[in-house]
Amino acid sequence: MKKWLLGSLIGALVVCLGIGTLFAAPIKIGFFAPLTGFAAADGTSAKNAVMLAVEEVNKSGGLNGNPVKLIVYDDRDNPKESVAIANKLIEKDKVIAVVSGSYSTPTRVTAPIFNKAGIPMVAGYAVDPSITKAGPYIFRNGFLGEIEGKAAGEVAVNLLKAKTLALFTIDNDFGRALSRGFHARAKKFGGKVVYEHAFAIGTKDFSAMLTKVKGLSPDLLFISGYYEEAALAVKQARELGLTCKILGEEGFDSPKFLELAGDAAEGVVITTNLNRDDPRPFVQDFIKQYKAKYGMEPDMVGASSYDAFMIVANAIRKAGTNPKAIRDAIASTKNFDGLTGLIKHFNKIGEVMKPVQVQVVKNGAFHYYGVISDPEIITPPEK
Amino acid sequence: MPLQGKVIGMLAQQIVNGITIGSIYALIALGLTIVYGVLKILHIAHAGVYAMGAYLGLWAYRFIPNLFLAMIVAMALSGVSGIVIERFLYKSMLDKSRIVPLIASIGLFIAMEEAFRIISGPYVKAFPVHFRQKPWIFGSVRISAPQMLVFGVTIALLVLLWWVISKTRMGKALRAVSMDREMADALGVATERIISLSFFISSALAGAAGVLVGVFYNSVYPTMGDIPAYKALAIIVLGGMGSIPGTILGAFLVGISETFLIGFVNIPLPRDALAFIVMIAVLMFRPYGLLGKE
Repeated sequence: MKKWLLGSLIGALVVCLGIGTLFAAPIKIGFFAPLTGFAAADGTSAKNAVMLAVEEVNKSGGLNGNPVKLIVYDDRDNPKESVAIANKLIEKDKVIAVVSGSYSTPTRVTAPIFNKAGIPMVAGYAVDPSITKAGPYIFRNGFLGEIEGKAAGEVAVNLLKAKTLALFTIDNDFGRALSRGFHARAKKFGGKVVYEHAFAIGTKDFSAMLTKVKGLSPDLLFISGYYEEAALAVKQARELGLTCKILGEEGFDSPKFLELAGDAAEGVVITTNLNRDDPRPFVQDFIKQYKAKYGMEPDMVGASSYDAFMIVANAIRKAGTNPKAIRDAIASTKNFDGLTGLIKHFNKIGEVMKPVQVQVVKNGAFHYYGVISDPEIITPPEK
Repeated sequence: MPLQGKVIGMLAQQIVNGITIGSIYALIALGLTIVYGVLKILHIAHAGVYAMGAYLGLWAYRFIPNLFLAMIVAMALSGVSGIVIERFLYKSMLDKSRIVPLIASIGLFIAMEEAFRIISGPYVKAFPVHFRQKPWIFGSVRISAPQMLVFGVTIALLVLLWWVISKTRMGKALRAVSMDREMADALGVATERIISLSFFISSALAGAAGVLVGVFYNSVYPTMGDIPAYKALAIIVLGGMGSIPGTILGAFLVGISETFLIGFVNIPLPRDALAFIVMIAVLMFRPYGLLGKE
């Protein structure tokens, strides 16, 4: 009799808790990414990964008993639309925190709006340095271009032992920042840049530049760009008979790069922030679940946005639903176990400190090559 | 290799690179110039037809893994889509101001890009053709198998186009319509059929270009028409609006100038601006384009 009573009491409690989570007011978190237009592939990866994170949080009982509702908008990488989205998220949807799964432009124009409204935002992978300068409510989980460029310079001269270097730099803030960091680090250890050419986004033909590089026969070619340009440049380099080492960066980090470059991708080394051979079980679980759900390999854009969301979720768990308290909790994040590595902390202006991963393409997949955690390279600037 | 030989080798390789790019530009821009010649409208959605050709080729190639058959299927279906576009979009607008079909065309182009994205996803698709042919190597010049494919198909299509336009009755009628549509109509030329024919030819060429670009760069994606949409415009203005030989000349001039300016001068301007610089430079001396008439 007593056992029966206890059993039913526990049962009722579980049901109540379950219903409680169902009917508890959902916690609204805003999210924007380019889901249509030229950047749709990256935006979709970011959204897919964050949806997986939301599912995971809700399956394990939500945040402090409340389910999370992600409010998703498509910014089309368009600054005007992003401004409208930011205002909508603040005024209509009344979100308490925001995750940017978008590029630099939408993140940069919305940062001051969220900061003014006192709503914390964590940018997944946008690289523009001015984003975090909008104010104390804005954080970034990705690397600054300059830091990743420095890491790439380190890989080129100290890991791959290259002396003469050629650079193909994508002609935007991202590529220019990478190039600055790369030059600085390479020069420090005696690397010599013999050729550099800036190319526009969407460039398909690299034959003119590659023919020139072939004549100079450098030890290493560092290419910055997104996977579409990167795959073409690498493929054409090998077709033209260029044999030097090729180094890339996080823009290469996509299953699409491997597919489009095919055999030419073998041996290409990249700096990024997702280590596929990470031994931590939750990283391998994420990779498995993502593949099962979306039928493709996850990429660094997705992993970074996933982490950005989890940082926000973690802060809400600790601090509740007051945006100011959430901001303070994000700012005091310490040694957070992220998909993209151990997130040491956010600095004074909201830049992340975490190691840079080095991956190599082997048998058509990214694998561990090294990790760069030298504080001289990975410490973000304080202003 | 002595320095001089090396420079000549590099020069020759850059010419090969430039001709490859020029061939692709020619196939895309020709359709635009033919349509302009006949209807005097700027058919921006032509770049959408080009992207569609790439998707159709990829789709056909999955059923029949023969590139030539896939290309013929893509050309035929693109050609038919051209006729449909003319019948259902432009036909009712021909007596309106010229801005009307232009805006409709831009709208159609955007709609097509989004349709590709909805149907086949935002990601770039590979066009996995494996060439057994080894590259031809002459000294330091390499011509890869995909380059041979681009040259071969372009030459074949240009010869075919020349034959249709200058040797057949249809071609004669097409030239008549493009000189003066109303007069041709009055003299008993079946102008509607000739307009359809011109859209078929143009769109089939664009479809072939789409497949070639897809294979050559191993990538097919929804917005692949963005750059050709305006670059083809620069090329036909450069060649002289509506002039077929002018367009071919313009395409090769732009392809080779781009390659040389990037390969030798290392100018800091984006590559896609170069077509317009070449266009402006030519228009300063020849305001009607290379082979255009007043």
